[in-house]
Amino acid sequence: MLKATRVTKKFGELVAVNDLSFHVQDGQIYGIAGPNGAGKSTVFNLITGNYGYEGKIEFGGKKITGLSPYRIAQEGIARTFQIPQIFPSLTVKKSISVGSRFGARNGLDEDHVEKIIRFVELEDERTQKTGRLNLLGKKKLMIGASLATKPKILMLDEPMAGSNATEIKELMNLIRKINVELGVTVIIIEHFMKVLTELTEKLLIIESGSMICCDAPEAVTKNPEVIESYLGKAYAERD
Amino acid sequence: MSSKRMATIMGVTYGIAAIMPFFVGDIRFIMHILIMCLIWAVVASCWDLIMGFAGIFSFGQVAFFVIGAYTSAILSVQWNVPSVVAILLAGVFTAGMGVIVGLPCLKLAGPYVALVTFGVHMTLMPVLRGEIGIALGSGGSQGILTIPPVNILGYTFSSANQIPTFYFTLFLSVVCTVIILAVIKSYWGTAFLALKDSEEFAMSLGVSAFKYKLMVFALTSFLTGVMGAFYGHYIGMLSTRMLELDLFCTLMVMLVVGGIGRFPGAILGAFITVTANELLAPLGAYRAVTLGALVVLLVLLLPNGVMGLWLKRSDAEA
Repeated sequence: MLKATRVTKKFGELVAVNDLSFHVQDGQIYGIAGPNGAGKSTVFNLITGNYGYEGKIEFGGKKITGLSPYRIAQEGIARTFQIPQIFPSLTVKKSISVGSRFGARNGLDEDHVEKIIRFVELEDERTQKTGRLNLLGKKKLMIGASLATKPKILMLDEPMAGSNATEIKELMNLIRKINVELGVTVIIIEHFMKVLTELTEKLLIIESGSMICCDAPEAVTKNPEVIESYLGKAYAERD
Repeated sequence: MSSKRMATIMGVTYGIAAIMPFFVGDIRFIMHILIMCLIWAVVASCWDLIMGFAGIFSFGQVAFFVIGAYTSAILSVQWNVPSVVAILLAGVFTAGMGVIVGLPCLKLAGPYVALVTFGVHMTLMPVLRGEIGIALGSGGSQGILTIPPVNILGYTFSSANQIPTFYFTLFLSVVCTVIILAVIKSYWGTAFLALKDSEEFAMSLGVSAFKYKLMVFALTSFLTGVMGAFYGHYIGMLSTRMLELDLFCTLMVMLVVGGIGRFPGAILGAFITVTANELLAPLGAYRAVTLGALVVLLVLLLPNGVMGLWLKRSDAEA
């Protein structure tokens, strides 16, 4: 479904993403992890057209390299951000409508917007200004607005950051629901290995912009190179 | 704020203005002030749309007003184009200029957009006064002194017959501000607000920053250009004095008084500011200082401008 081939991104002398190739299958929950500064969010920014790059990214067999972010959203790739982004001037319903009106191919679909509001459980807040939402509410709003674009792929950038155990559980259930009930492929960047091992089918580990390994989570967590450079020995010896 | 509430405030404001000629129709000075209020109401609303709603720190509104005024005047005086056609062509030309100015601004962040657009403002005066301007028919530093009044089907709207001119200006002002209201409440307005709040997020949801930012430049420049063109035909003469800082500052005061991003506050701001400016005229040299002090006081008491009086708490916080 999404295929990156030999993608490289340089910021001056710094190589943020180095000759990276990966392939996300339709219907998967695909994880990306790595140390801080490994280039995980840069990979998202490359896929969504925020930066130019060398190499090629294809989506559904179509080359999306060079398309602008709004066109990529309209093609069916939605994303959320590590630091929650909201529209403080708009209400929850209006914010979610933005995704439907501008991102979905067939324009504003009021029924779909209502369905998404219920799906992300923001019914009671629908008329509230988004600035009044708590952190979890803001994350759900971002996910809801992204889902309103009727995406084929949803990319979540550290959705659990700053959340407590209950919120993490709730967000994990929401991500599963998105994948199973809506049939949306999910790519998730996360630091919580427990979240990644429980949710994902395949896990890509990168460091300094290069792939260390890409495999099933069980295999990845036993990979000596991953333990050495990212997880640490304490993680491997925790049981 | 809901469309209904916005329309009500606009309706009451324009309604009060509409009945004023019945009381002060024979006082030329007051009628002139009312006409100017109606003109500035549109210009201030356009500035509010681009800055308050779309979040683009454009400081070129006065420049667009002057471009519209000069274009229509030159077309009428040099090329004998009928005034109504000249006004529309001036609006279209100004919209084109707005897009040209807007294009480099798409790549720039807030303060730099302000610098570029204010640069256009500052460049306009030497251009109009210099050889290029004179060649185009700007009249150089003397300006254009014989602009024909608006003529529709043989009926002339000029400062000589103020009451019909007032109602014609009222009509223009209402049409322009209703367009602005419709845009704010349409999906365009939603796109402007979304881009202002978080451009990155808005684009990730399919909003084209390029398209909507250029649209707002084009629309606000068009309406401002039309009002500038009408102003030239109403006053009958133009000079580059409009490009000095007085008008720029007065317009900014209108926005602050009305409430930035609090449409239709800009309309109220225009009426209040123009009226206050005239009422303070007897203070002479102290007028500007007093007006400034009143603005500071107002900002402290009503951070959302006079519109703060009508805003719900949630709206005020946003």
